[in-house]
Amino acid sequence: MRLRATDLSADEVGLRDEVRAFLAARLPAGSYPIGLGFAAEVDAAFSRDLGSRGWLGMALPKEYGGGGRSAVERLIVVEELLAVGAPVGWHWVADRQSGPNIAANGTVEQKQHFLPRIAGGELSFAIGMSEPEAGSDLASVRTGAVKVGDSWLINGTKIWTSGAAEATHLLGLFRTSEDRYRGLTQFIVDRSTEGLTVSPIPFIDGTRHFCEVSFTDVVVPDSMRLGEVGAGWGQNTAELVLERGGVDRWMSLMPVLQHWAAHPHGRVDAWEQTDLGSVAARCWAFHGLSLSIARAVDRGESPTVEAALAKEMATRFEQECIDIVCRHYGRTPELTSSDPYESLLARALLTGPSWTIRGGTTEILRNIISKALIRP
Amino acid sequence: MTNHSGPDTDLLALVEDYFSKTFSADVIADAEQHGLSPQLWASTEELGLTLIGINEQHGGSGGSLLDLLAVAEGTGRHAVPLPVAETGLASWLFACADVEVPTGPLAVVPDASGLSLTGNRLSGRATHIPWARGARRVVALLNGRVVSIDPARLHITAGSDLAGMPRDTVNGADVEVDVYESGVDADDMLLRGALLRAAQIAGAISAAFELTNRYVKQRVQFGKPIGTFQSVQAHVVELAEVSALTTLCVERAGAAALRGPASLEIAATKSVANRNARLASRAAHQAHGAIGMTREYPLQLLTRRLHTWRGDFGDETALNLRLGVAAAGGIAAAVTSVGSTLGV
Repeated sequence: MRLRATDLSADEVGLRDEVRAFLAARLPAGSYPIGLGFAAEVDAAFSRDLGSRGWLGMALPKEYGGGGRSAVERLIVVEELLAVGAPVGWHWVADRQSGPNIAANGTVEQKQHFLPRIAGGELSFAIGMSEPEAGSDLASVRTGAVKVGDSWLINGTKIWTSGAAEATHLLGLFRTSEDRYRGLTQFIVDRSTEGLTVSPIPFIDGTRHFCEVSFTDVVVPDSMRLGEVGAGWGQNTAELVLERGGVDRWMSLMPVLQHWAAHPHGRVDAWEQTDLGSVAARCWAFHGLSLSIARAVDRGESPTVEAALAKEMATRFEQECIDIVCRHYGRTPELTSSDPYESLLARALLTGPSWTIRGGTTEILRNIISKALIRP
Repeated sequence: MTNHSGPDTDLLALVEDYFSKTFSADVIADAEQHGLSPQLWASTEELGLTLIGINEQHGGSGGSLLDLLAVAEGTGRHAVPLPVAETGLASWLFACADVEVPTGPLAVVPDASGLSLTGNRLSGRATHIPWARGARRVVALLNGRVVSIDPARLHITAGSDLAGMPRDTVNGADVEVDVYESGVDADDMLLRGALLRAAQIAGAISAAFELTNRYVKQRVQFGKPIGTFQSVQAHVVELAEVSALTTLCVERAGAAALRGPASLEIAATKSVANRNARLASRAAHQAHGAIGMTREYPLQLLTRRLHTWRGDFGDETALNLRLGVAAAGGIAAAVTSVGSTLGV
């Protein structure tokens, strides 16, 4: 495992400053509901604004309407968005993983259809991976796709699908034969297809972004199959790498941390300052880690293990940050508070456990890392 | 320039080859008994490894700060029982004062507040000085002046750090010393020392990770290697993580220091290294079980040094307090800053 130290170039700093200035104007304080990282509010108009500036689908190929830019440039934009808790919910999944997956594995027609619309912020994707009986053991998914003529007939249930209620499309992993790994295939399913039912699952903080998606004789044309029949497991694994190494894995609490740094609670000053310093030092370190992973991606490498390692460490750090801020607060923060930062801290307290679960649990990540370490 | 050219690859190979062949557990134990070995120092000096990062005009071996950090990391990886990092710090003080660096091992007074200088005569007491015994010169920074002291003129009380290396107290009364003006202040020295210690910590953590990873593949319990148990793997994973993160931070801070002031980067790096030293030590010992607690097994060579080094040139509390005061007002700016020190 070897990550190379790197920092931003002058052009990259320029991009960062441009995004920062745009956000200050587009999202003045109090004008939008602040979110916790990528579990953010859905605001299609905001996403389209980002798209019109070329800040969605940045690393997608230019010939399909993408930005043709680097993974590092995308990281810079995302880092600025998450720092202010911007409403990134509409485009998040499409920008982070569905777009790159379609760019890597899609047909020319699929790329021509989807990629410009993802880069423009017109489409919203949700992920169809987990099922009631297939969580961490993802290869045991059972929701089946059966070939009937030129189409596939899908039956079964996907669960824990964030944002499915608002999404325009689902990109999911379905069983096309009994072979454990080679029997899996990815499909893009239009959310409005007949037989597809989305039922919100009320989340621990009372929100309703978390969904169950049931498929009853849902007909999907073969043209919406992503990649070869049986290639789904590999594509899905590559997609998870995109999910794991990014700044979104240590920035969930950043708006709260920013506010806390500017408005300390002042119970025991030196203790609070020391805690703030500890958080700042580690944010600096994780920023560098994410940046090095993005540079490796730009060099054409596939840093699977490094991404797992980053997520395992960083998400535990995010959770620790909740404890740190709370212990200076003086009382348990309330979700119903009129102070948006108190409410956000309360939301973090309730939803924080999900940070080490979503995108691969800590335990699964440790297995991935230790397999790579044990391999001689 | 976004990808920093790293240390010289020939130097890396030399460091790894020479340190691994020279500093066996027996050699290190011997240094713990008898102090600095003049022969080992001489052979290390002959290879040019003691004055990396100092240019030839000041009597050094040349090379960049990144080369020096690679050597320091090597001293951590192999628990080198010589004051290589200390000499690196002292020789930097001489170079900053634009004077030729004396040959031989050098010691640096970490806290000179108990010393006073009148003209070229020094009096007072300084404590917790790594490697004062055996050093050719003891060097202190007093009000921006580099003070070079002949240890023969000092009264030295022997002490030792947790790794059993010399850490001594010196007393002097009206001792004649050499004094050179420099543009360096105490904080510059602290940061330089912190970066060197962070590099040593990174090296020792990487060695603890590799030792542990080997051990859990070999040690059989319940009929299979203990590394097949997920609860044991968790310790190895933690070691891999803190090793990768610490090494990366040291490289970033080194690159930042080459560009200009890097107090934020160095303070953050040493803070993270200190914390990771603590976590790595705990994880490595837990994975090893009882054998790791013995002097016969080499893990202690690393973990005793990790504990020592994390207390030098800023412990977690001191550095975090400093970073916290600087980060008041906003964390994101500090985190994403490039070439800015934010008054840390």
